[in-house]
Amino acid sequence: MDTFKLEILTPNGQIFNGEAVSVTLPGEEGEFGVLAHHASLTTLLEAGVIDIEKENKAVESILINWGVVNVDEEKVIVLVEGAVAIRGDNESAISKALEDARELISSIADSNSAIASVSAKIESAAKRLL
Amino acid sequence: MANLKDIKRQISSVSNTQKTTRAMKLVSTAKLRRAEELAKRSRLYAEKMNQVIAEIAGRIKCSKIGGIDNRCFTKIENPKIVDIIFVTADKGLCGGFNIQTIKAVKKLIAEYKEKNVKVRLRGIGKKGVEFFKYNEVELFDSVSNLSSKPDKARSDSFIATSIEDYKDGKIDGIHLVYNGYKNIITQELHVTTVLPVDTNQYECAEMPSSLLEIEAEDEEYMLDSLVTKYVEYSMYYSLIDSVAAEHSARMQAMDTATNNAKDMVKTLKVQYNKARQAAITTELIEIISGVESMK
Repeated sequence: MDTFKLEILTPNGQIFNGEAVSVTLPGEEGEFGVLAHHASLTTLLEAGVIDIEKENKAVESILINWGVVNVDEEKVIVLVEGAVAIRGDNESAISKALEDARELISSIADSNSAIASVSAKIESAAKRLL
Repeated sequence: MANLKDIKRQISSVSNTQKTTRAMKLVSTAKLRRAEELAKRSRLYAEKMNQVIAEIAGRIKCSKIGGIDNRCFTKIENPKIVDIIFVTADKGLCGGFNIQTIKAVKKLIAEYKEKNVKVRLRGIGKKGVEFFKYNEVELFDSVSNLSSKPDKARSDSFIATSIEDYKDGKIDGIHLVYNGYKNIITQELHVTTVLPVDTNQYECAEMPSSLLEIEAEDEEYMLDSLVTKYVEYSMYYSLIDSVAAEHSARMQAMDTATNNAKDMVKTLKVQYNKARQAAITTELIEIISGVESMK
């Protein structure tokens, strides 16, 4: 399957840089997926979870609070303000990531209904890893 | 020749200064490490943000996105009033760090004056603000304690005035002047135009032929919030970059000062020893001549 280059950056450094098969992004107008050779597009992202499907079929989830995505034919650049990657090699690392994610969720001020589904999503992503 | 006591006093004074400058250098080195780390991590984000904005700007110019007329992306002919925001340190003793920024600001002001453009000066950092106040250059507003401790919330609220005024058409441009960090021994002066976004970075011929779709119900709103974030981040990034540069400049200045003090102590010690020997010689001569006269 075709892959594309995906970069996710935060003001505190790069959080993801590599090849991906598909990525699902929480757009302001609703969730959307991107595959390789997607048409050029720029849009804002709201608080939510980015799901990245990697070449080995593994799915990585990253929680974000605000962002902007720039898609072109070759690569996808996602600039986010705050992000927590739900990943880790062992249980303690994952639970640490989960803790950070909860903290980020609570810092998202506007209490929209989407937040609940976001929490559910990261919990399930963490479960998948454990 | 100066007397012994004077030289001794001078030596102890210079070596005390040396102790202070050495301590300041060590403090700066420690602080620099942290600031440098922060600046390095943010640099990538800042660069990509600029790239995304430049691409949108380029596409708007080459009208690959139709029907967008946003003030932030159009070159303004005959600007009437512009904002100049400068970032200096709150403290001195860092060599030419502050004066370089001040000089660049003065140059920019002079350039605008020639074109009959009014300048609204906004300052961050005590040293620059003090300079312009002393020289009776009018400052629109200023903040201190922000450049030494960059804080996202405070930086956002500071720049918000400029962004709002720009969008409302009260000002026609925002310039940012600061001294940034290049490496441990060099600082790089940045004079950037934040708004309007520079549309000349991309050549129309080089642009990808495909259309860029802006996926939003309200494109204006999307571009507006994107530009706001971009300007806010440029401001914040300039603060962290400037703080790293400030520490590296101070480290260098203090290192030079320590070395100079060392040299000075050395020459003073030579002088002291010479004076001491001269005193001994005089004493001996006095004794000998006393003995001679008694014979």
